[in-house]
Amino acid sequence: MANNLNIEVSPLSRVEGHGDLIINVKDKKIEKLMFRIPESPRFFEAMLVGRKYDEPSHITSRICGICSVAHTCASIKATEKALGIKPSEQTINLRKLIYHHENVQSNVLHVYFLAAPDFFGVGSVIPLVETYPEVVNIALRTKKMANDIVRIIGGRAVHPIRTVIGGFTKLPTEEEMIKMKEMLLASYPDLEKSLEILRTLKIPEFERKTEYISISDTIDYALYDGNIKSTDGWEIDDQNYLDKMKEKVVKYSTAKHCWVKGNVFMVGALARFNNNYQKLTDNAKKYAEELGLKAPCHNTFMNNIAQFVEIVHSIDDSIRLIDKILEDGLDEGKAMTDIKPGAGRGVGVVEAPRGLLIHDYTYNDKGRVEKANLIIPTGMNYANIEKDMHALVPTILDKSEDEIRLTCEMLIRAYDPCISCSTHFLKVKLINR
Amino acid sequence: MTHTNKNDSSSSGYAKTDVKIIGFGNKYRSDDGIGIRVVEELRKLDSFRNIDIIDGGTSGTDLIFLVKDCSKIIIIDAIDAGQNVDDVVNIQISDVEEFIKRDYKSLSIHDLNLADILKLIKALKINADISIIGVKPKKMDFGDRLSPEIEEKIPEIISLVKKEAGV
Repeated sequence: MANNLNIEVSPLSRVEGHGDLIINVKDKKIEKLMFRIPESPRFFEAMLVGRKYDEPSHITSRICGICSVAHTCASIKATEKALGIKPSEQTINLRKLIYHHENVQSNVLHVYFLAAPDFFGVGSVIPLVETYPEVVNIALRTKKMANDIVRIIGGRAVHPIRTVIGGFTKLPTEEEMIKMKEMLLASYPDLEKSLEILRTLKIPEFERKTEYISISDTIDYALYDGNIKSTDGWEIDDQNYLDKMKEKVVKYSTAKHCWVKGNVFMVGALARFNNNYQKLTDNAKKYAEELGLKAPCHNTFMNNIAQFVEIVHSIDDSIRLIDKILEDGLDEGKAMTDIKPGAGRGVGVVEAPRGLLIHDYTYNDKGRVEKANLIIPTGMNYANIEKDMHALVPTILDKSEDEIRLTCEMLIRAYDPCISCSTHFLKVKLINR
Repeated sequence: MTHTNKNDSSSSGYAKTDVKIIGFGNKYRSDDGIGIRVVEELRKLDSFRNIDIIDGGTSGTDLIFLVKDCSKIIIIDAIDAGQNVDDVVNIQISDVEEFIKRDYKSLSIHDLNLADILKLIKALKINADISIIGVKPKKMDFGDRLSPEIEEKIPEIISLVKKEAGV
């Protein structure tokens, strides 16, 4: 049993971007525990100031290659709210459709490529090509399907260009809609096979109750739109996020930490699952049940399973959306809504694959950004990651140092942190004074 | 030129051409945007009109799908191959092990790193003829402009791309 322990993992592998974990234990007590982000700060918020209303969605889309649709949609929603633009139902349905497939792209990448190697006891996805070729092939097929759907709707597999303020610059054709449905229907055997494989994984036992926050809707399993909801029983209009959420700078990291009324909380697939389980398709609920995932779940490691359940839901719901869009008929007249630039403030809240994503813009009367605030899901999770570590480490001190290190890394990876996205804050100089 | 497995083109949506050119990077991180800037310039040139030119952003895993769909792929990226800052390199990926051994670093891709993606391509037994043309960046801070020294290298990079693409 380890009485003293010094772990420094720098950089963490298989997370997006660069982060370090430091744990010092003395006489079985944690003396120091830090999840540190040393990546250079990113100043997208400052960059938006002065930009015309049609620019922020394209700029913020470049924050991240993994969640560019989420940034695009959060940005568009913030601007549309500020300028009083109401997109057509067709536009909203197409946005929900493209949105599902960024979630699939990202969840596939994380579940199969970044997290699965931990469960199969290998250091990366590469050895799995030999030992579990099916895992890699399913991942590639599913990701390619999602890429193709994002490209058909958004014009590119990443950083969509047709998804703009007011609607779409170009609509997919009816033939493309039918082709997407065929691709989705063809993916079910891979979901079944994945279920068989995931059932064999041993998910570490760990439980720590925390607050789970996501958006929530009365009909949808909310990804694109909804109120902000907490498992602690409150729900607020997304425009009022500042009533609950506060950001705070910590000295050792270039990413801001985030609190709700002084409490840490978790966002992401598990938070969405815990808040919105009832809105999943019956098929997705069946997969959750088969994999032992029940709401509320307080085991962070199960976030990976929640991500897989969401892949199933996104495929099911995409078929429903395509049927609806085809039934209504694609209408070029509803592709774009008129835009009148003016002053106003708007908040765009969506669920990025990693959780709640908030864009908050204030425009002047010339339709240019005066002020912008972006709150990124990984930034919201940092404080909860550290709390999880404080709870986990004392329970695994009887393991070898290598096992402790791996378990801690797995816990952080379970959050699917996107560190590149979250290192964005503006007040570094103030802290260093 | 090595010819690749062309069995998986049914739903790619990309035109099936012999050569594809992809720029990686973030155009809002100063010199990290070199790949995207070169792609924008290539699209203006008549000689590249019939070649698939892709803005790959920072999503590297998708390289696997592109490689399966063509005979040769030319990547343009900010890359540290141990050269001096602002030196342009043209690396032929005929030997992935060599690439990995030399610890070349693509600086743009942040899902799986380029070495991992190349290892995965090799493990999947996809024959790939890949060239990486890149420049070592001077700065990768916030900003939508290249350093002047890096901007000056665009014609040299385009010449190398022309040579590799046979146009």
